[in-house]
Formats: sequence, C-alpha cells, structure tokens
Amino acid sequence: MTSLVRPFLLLVFVCLPVLIHAQEDSARRIRVHPESLDLKVGETAQLEVIVLDSQGNEEENMTLLYFAKARGSLRVDSTGRVTAVAPGKFKIVIRTPRKAGERVSAEVPVLVRPAKISEITFVDLPSRIFAGTSAKIVVRIIDEVGNERHDIRPLIKSRSKNVATVDTFRRLQAHEPGECVLETDIEGLVETASVRVVANPVRSLELSRPVTSARTGDVLTFNVTARDASGSVVEDAPIRFAVACDPDDRLGEAASGQIDQDGRFVAEKPGEYTIVATCANLCDSRTVRIDARRVQRRVRLVGQGAVKDVHTSDLWVWEGIDGRDYAVTGTWGANGDSIFWDITDPKNMEEIARITVDARTVNDVKVSEDGTLCIISREGASNRKNGIVLIDVHDPRKPEIISTYTENLTGGVHNLFIYDDHVFALSAGRRYDIINIEEPTHPHRVGKFELESTGHSIHDVWVVDGIAYSSNWKDGVWLVDVGNGVVGGSVENPVSIGHYAYPSGWNHAAFPYYNEETEKFYVIAGDEAFPYGLNVKDKPTYPRGWLHFIDFTDPENPEEVARYEVPEAGTHNLWVEDDILYAAYYNGGLRVIDISGELKGDLYRQGREIAWYLPDDPEGKISNAPMVWGPQPHKGKVFFSDWNSGLWAVELALPRGE
Amino acid sequence: MWTAITTSILLAASLGSAPREETGARYYVYVTTESDDHVHLIEFDSNTGVARVAQTIQIGYQPTEIEGPHGLAISPDDKHWFVTVAHGKPFGILYKYETATNKLVGQCELGLFPATMQISEATGLLYCVNFDLHGDMLPSSVSIVDPDDMIEVARTTTGPMPHGSRISPDGLKHYSCAMMSGELFEIDAVTFEVERVLKLTSEDSPMSKDGHDGKEHSEHGEHSEHGEHSEHGEHSAHGGHGPSPKPTWVYPHPTKKFVYVALNGAEQVVEVDTEAWKIVRRFPTDKGPYNVEVSPDGKQFVVTYKSAQGIGIWDLEKGRELARLPSSRRVTHGVVISDDSRFAFVSNEGVGGEMGTLDVIDLQKNRSVATVDLGLQAGGIYFWKSE
Repeated sequence: MTSLVRPFLLLVFVCLPVLIHAQEDSARRIRVHPESLDLKVGETAQLEVIVLDSQGNEEENMTLLYFAKARGSLRVDSTGRVTAVAPGKFKIVIRTPRKAGERVSAEVPVLVRPAKISEITFVDLPSRIFAGTSAKIVVRIIDEVGNERHDIRPLIKSRSKNVATVDTFRRLQAHEPGECVLETDIEGLVETASVRVVANPVRSLELSRPVTSARTGDVLTFNVTARDASGSVVEDAPIRFAVACDPDDRLGEAASGQIDQDGRFVAEKPGEYTIVATCANLCDSRTVRIDARRVQRRVRLVGQGAVKDVHTSDLWVWEGIDGRDYAVTGTWGANGDSIFWDITDPKNMEEIARITVDARTVNDVKVSEDGTLCIISREGASNRKNGIVLIDVHDPRKPEIISTYTENLTGGVHNLFIYDDHVFALSAGRRYDIINIEEPTHPHRVGKFELESTGHSIHDVWVVDGIAYSSNWKDGVWLVDVGNGVVGGSVENPVSIGHYAYPSGWNHAAFPYYNEETEKFYVIAGDEAFPYGLNVKDKPTYPRGWLHFIDFTDPENPEEVARYEVPEAGTHNLWVEDDILYAAYYNGGLRVIDISGELKGDLYRQGREIAWYLPDDPEGKISNAPMVWGPQPHKGKVFFSDWNSGLWAVELALPRGE
Repeated sequence: MWTAITTSILLAASLGSAPREETGARYYVYVTTESDDHVHLIEFDSNTGVARVAQTIQIGYQPTEIEGPHGLAISPDDKHWFVTVAHGKPFGILYKYETATNKLVGQCELGLFPATMQISEATGLLYCVNFDLHGDMLPSSVSIVDPDDMIEVARTTTGPMPHGSRISPDGLKHYSCAMMSGELFEIDAVTFEVERVLKLTSEDSPMSKDGHDGKEHSEHGEHSEHGEHSEHGEHSAHGGHGPSPKPTWVYPHPTKKFVYVALNGAEQVVEVDTEAWKIVRRFPTDKGPYNVEVSPDGKQFVVTYKSAQGIGIWDLEKGRELARLPSSRRVTHGVVISDDSRFAFVSNEGVGGEMGTLDVIDLQKNRSVATVDLGLQAGGIYFWKSE
C-alpha cells in the first residue's frame, strides 16, 4: 500500500466509530472507464479506475485489486492493463481490499473476438473428380495469431453450377465434365480453388463376395472392380458402400450391421445382409448369410479365498519354485496388508501369510517371472515416503521383506510391473521410474519416462518383449521401447514408439495382443470411470467405461477399430491368453471374450462374449456387490480379485462339441 | 508496513479481540482423514466434555484411488467450507461445500497437491499452497482463487514444497513456508507478487538476521533432488547453519507484527518480526514441530510435535512451555484454537489401519479433555464456530 494512504487510515483509526458507521451505510463505488471492453485476441487496453466515496468525491491513491475470471483467456495486471488471449465473454473484477461490508467491487465485461482470419486453405482437394460422384471438401482456416479456427463452418460456392455444386455439408457433387472454381468467403477474405470434373469412365462394377456365410463378429472384406468401356480396370474409381440389413429377429431389432468405405463389413445379429457398392449411377450388390457366433460356455465356481473385513485390490498368480501354485493380493484403504495364498487346490485356497507395511493401500502386487521376488506398491504411508517394498517369496509361506525403495516415489506408487530384473513403478501419477533390481537389497533408478504434455498423468504400465505399454488417462496409450530395440530404446533411455488417445480421457489400463491369424497387433485400452461415485461402505457402485481395441499394426498410424462395452457397468484390469480376453468389469463381474480373427465394431453386441461370472458374497465388505478388480488365467482356471470379497477361482466348460 | 500494523490494530479493535471468556458450550471443527477421503464435522460439548462426529462427508471423484483431502478453510461469512484434495490426474482439486448442508456446490482444479489455504477478509480471495511433494524438488506455487465463482485467478511461484498458507490479520499479506529451501515467503495479497523472502536457519547467524527482497531471490530451482530423506518423505533443505530447518507452518499473531514458524527439522518454533523481517525469538520444542497456532487472545501458541506424539502449549509473553501433553495417536498433525481461546483441537494421523483421532485440549487446565476416533490419517483441521 502506498504511503499516500496513510493519512486516510490514520483518520479512520482516530474517528473509528463514526467512520465505520459511515462506511457501512456508504454508497462508495468504483467507476471504471471504459465500462466494458471489446477486444480482439492479442489486443491490449488500459482500465482507468477511480473510487468514489459516499459524497461522490474521489478517494485518492487507493490500492486496487484486479483479477480476471478466466486468466487463461484474459490477463489483467495490478495496474489495470488488460490483454486479450483467447476469444469469449469474460469479466474483470476490480475490488478495494477491505473486509467484507466495506469492500466495494466492480466488474467489467470483456468481449474478446477472435483475431482476423489470415489464411484459408483447401485441403487435399482431388485433382480430378468423376462426373456423377461426390467428394468431401475440407477447408483449413487460420487467424492472425496462428490459431486454427474450428468454430467456423465455411460456405463453399461453385462458380460453375452445371459442372459441380457443393451442399451445406461441404460435399461436392460432380455433374458434368469441365473446370469448376470453388469459392469461400470468410469475414471478407476470399479463397478459391479449381476442381476438374472429368467424364466418368466407369461402365461396370463387380462386387466380389468373400464368403456366402459367416458368423456375427467375423469381419468380411468386400472388393469392387470398376471397369471402363474397354474392360480395363479403373483404379481410382470412387466407390461408396452401403448395407441393407434383414435380421432374423424382427421383433424391434435395430440396425445390426455396418460396412466401412474400404469394404470391411461386420454384423452383430444373425440374418441376411445385402452389401451394395455404387459409383455414380452404377451399382452392384451381394448378399451374405450371418449366423450366431455360438461361443458361449458355461462357467463354474471353483473356490473363494474370502477377504471380508477390508477391500481387496490387485492380484498376481504364479507357480512357486516348489511347484505349488500361489497368489498374492493387495488391500485397499486398510492396514497396508498383502495376503499370500496357496492356491494349488483352487477349491480350498488357503491364506498362508501376510506382510504388513506402513501404508493404507497396497494397490499393486507383482511377482518376478522366476517366482522368487514379490514387489508391492505403497500409498498412504504415515511418513509419506510410500515407494515400493521388495519381498523374498522363495517360500511364500514365509515371505520376508528384503528392502524398500522410496527415492522419487514419495507421492505414492499406484501401479508397477516387473520385467527383466527391473521394476517399472509409477511415481505420483506423473511418470514411471525404471528401477534396477538385479540386487534386490540395493534397488536403484536407471531411467524414467514422462510425457511432456500439459497436465500429463499416468495410471498404469505393463511391459512385454521390451515394450512398455502405459495408460495415461487423457493422453491415452503410449508404447515405449524400453529394451526391445525397435527404435533403439533401453531401460536407461526409453524411446517412444507410438501413442493413441481417445476423447473421454478415461484410459486406465492397457494390454497388448497379437493375432497370429490376421497378423494384426492390437493394444486393448481399458477405461475407468465413476460418473455415479463410489460407495465404500454399504451400497454397490455403478462404474462405466469400456475396452478400446486399437490396431497398432502400423504404430505410426494407430486406429481404434472395435470396442467391448457391457451396458451399465465399467471396466478395470484385463488379461489376454490364447485369443481370449479376460476382463475385470467391476460391477459387471468377470467377462470372458472371444477376440479371435479381425476385430471391428462392438464385440459385446456381436455375441463374442464367452462367459460372465458375478461374485456375489452376502458377507462381503459390501454385501452382494460384485466389484471385480483384476483377472489372471492360470493352469486352466481363471483367478480374479474382487474389491468386496477377496480372491476367486472359476473354470470354463469346454467349448461346444469338445 | 505502518499501514499494515495500523490496519491490524483497526481490525482487531473492530472485531473486539476479547480476553479469554467462556463464550461457547459447543464447538465445531472440521477435520480431514486423508487416507480414506473423508471430512468429518466434530462437535465438542464443553459442558459434558464429549466430542463426537456430527457428520462425515465423502470427498473426491476417483473412488478407487486415495485422493487425499488435506487442507480446510471456512469463508469469513461462515457459509461455506473448502477442502483441497491432493491427488488428481495429476492436479489436485479445491472443493466448496455449504456449511449449513455440507452439500458440494463448487470445485476448481489447482496445482500438484494443493494443501493448506485461507481466505483473506480484505481481498475475499482464497490462497492455497500447492505442496507438490512428488519427488522432484522444484519451486511450486500459491494458487489464488475467487471462492465465489471457484476460479483460479492467479498463481504465484514460491519455493519447493510450500506449506502453512496463512493470511495476516489485515488480510493484505500471505505467508507460507518452503519446506525444502527453508524459506518464509510473504506475498502481497493484492498484487499477488512475492514481496519478501526470509531464509530460515536453525541457529542465529548474520545470515539469518538479514532478510532480503523477494525480487532479488535467486535460489529457486537450485535444490538437489538427491538430498537425504527426512521423516516426511521430503528431501533435506540446503544451506544455512545447523540442521535443516524444514519449516512446515507459519501463523501470524492476531494483533502484533509477528509470525510464528514451526521449524520441523530444527525442533524449534521461531518468532519472526515482520517489520524487521528477521527471527527475533526461538522456542526450543520437542521433536518434529509441525503445525502451530496462536490463540485469538494472543497469549499462547499451541504446537503439534509430529515425531514425538505430543502437543506443546506455550506462553508467548514468557516464552515458556506451559505443558507438554501426549497425543492420543502417533503422528500428531494439525492444531486449531477455539475463537474464545479456551480449547485447542489437535488432529492425529495414526499409522496404517490405526484410526486417526481428534484430541480436545483445555487451555485453562492444560490437559486433554476429550478424544474422538475419526478415519485413516486425520490431518487437515479448521475451527468453524462456537455457540
């Protein structure tokens, strides 16, 4: 506060009762010039502010507080200088810093308009278009500050309407051969481009049918051969595909098949489907018969290792060095326990040991490939060090803590993965650290991987064949070379291979899957979402989310091609073995899905689900509230952990006819 | 500075900072339990000596992850309470609730691990430190929020692991400590700029007696991430004399020109003269002084001893510890004092599955009079009202 204010405050102090009363009843106000602002992005303005007392006299040298209610879009400094950053309607607040009742405020509305358009570009305009066909016209608009303007829907006109016209969706319809100038006028800036419409050489279409019948979920590729009058193939003939559905079930069944414009077709329901290919006014069609997939199998409960007093988190199942089978499960929001089980007889899973560490949640548990070292994650440690704990499990009945490692892991470790004498541990949800554990008594960090995007975050990491698959919420799935060598990466120098993000930002888990039959490589990305909250005490929870199948065969051009979505339930962890996906689907229980062959569309609706199991337990932490956390197939059984009831084992019946 | 002091006296006079009187029979405090994502409203009846949980509110949006409600604040008009949640994707969140209904009415994303906060009566804005204990000891910040519309209006960079966000009585200065650099920061609550930085030390020295202007401060970003670990998962601060001071809390005197800083690593609470901008008194404490609060009548301060499972009650004028009491659980955390200076309320985290607690301390009899079980890792605490 400036020294000029001192006389005023001294006066206030001396005449306290009178002035306070006067202030409470006062009509002090702030006068601002201008009263509102209308700026373009990048422009600045100066606010002139005076404070008037109840008699309308100016109070001199008042310290004023300025702030904008959208500081990312509009800036104001402590002198009232305003800078427009992004378009929109905003407010600046000006306030005298006094306690409530004596404080006066004013708001200045600010309209920030986008910067002037500086550049319009027709993108990838075809050099020629066949008469009678159509094409989508794409226009890129850039303003003076370099922002691409997605808010403008440009109107495109044709100057030669007999040659071609453009509709309001910017779809060009070619009518007859000739040159056509396209024109768009955006805020007075006009841009034109020429399109040449040529005579359509195509005289015949022949649609080939790969098979006459298939099953729901099978992806069929239809090919079209377009020929000219001489019978030669027209390679660049634009073909449009459509499908007519005739499902067996006519009791209100909705559309049940889809075809992409590259000719790949898949059906969800049994019935007859007619594929139609067109080019201008030519067409050809073929019909295929689609039968039910019939992969469903019975599932049988084998046993339960009940945990009813606390919530259970993740699990790991392994064959011990003594040849017996073991599992370890974590606990959530409890006492820092990890529970070790002998599951050699899955009907009678026996708790054989517990390790308690200073934590509230042991979210993740993993065991090394040789079955001798278990590593658990810590969150909620009383000393806030958290980190990971390395446990000797040569004899799982007598697990012994070897060491703890907390360096740079103080914010809590939510997930981890063991691979090739290294542990990949998440640090505070920001990155994963790579820690050498060749000597479990002396773990040490050798590398790390962290995204650079604003507000980046990470939830899980899984490593196969030297490639780390991390799940990064809004940043999606990242594939990183941590020793595979495909792009020269190593644990000391992780190198990104490719990545894929989807709009919801729910990416929580990822699992790689290579399909030998199609030679396609997928990464299955799982969501986690709780739009309706979580009940940790007495009621079931209703998560949401699904599994995204991303075709990473070309890692530089990943494509999301399919999904598995159980209505009104939400995914968690997953596992793939022998073309079968095991999905922990929280309130939807354990789900087993056939993912053989090429994948496209909604696998749930295609009848690819093999089995499901809901682990009801009336005595669970929350009774009769399935909340399946993670699955793992092992020696013909499927083990899974449930948040409310512990460890379970189920068994699938043989497929039909076996 | 003169105006600040004058305004302090003015506000104190107008608010009628009263001598110790028994004004209330029922006292209400909010307490967070950081490892089970709850906020508890506690009612203490001084007539019966019984403290009870009046209501428990679940916090957060990622139910299968510990989100960590940490800091609490109540608006000057008592109509709303605020809680910071430490862990998000990745940023933490400030939530706003109605005190009348405990209903969620607003939220705002802040920085990494938003923690302690307070609303200035002068500016009407909320000032919250982004604690960021996530491993890399880089300078963090103070988020400044319009609590009416729940919009972050500014973010001021301070030091690594800032904690103990408190406002001067006149509402014009914000104080916080950077635990890993051992510094006390003063921010102008109106311009949002760092005004002064004081390097805190464990021992008096020429260095410790001299403050310096924040604008000349150049030590940000020079802190090694390979320091020795201390008991709170943090790294050692560098520089200074004696053990790392590791300041964890700062609290302004209600009527005088002093602020009190808990030096967790040096087993001291220090009194800083905000005019001279230097340490003027040191109070040797038990292990791990963590939170400190001065009573509204300005006569005492109460300090939690996090590492010693204890509570210290100090006479400010005499500079003498009046009593040292055990707390009911390990890892003693926060302390607040009732508006009549009669009772102190202390949160205790506990370890692992051990329930955290709230202890009620009678500051006339210097003894614990009630304890109530809460949830896992009871931490953040804020006094609401007495009636």
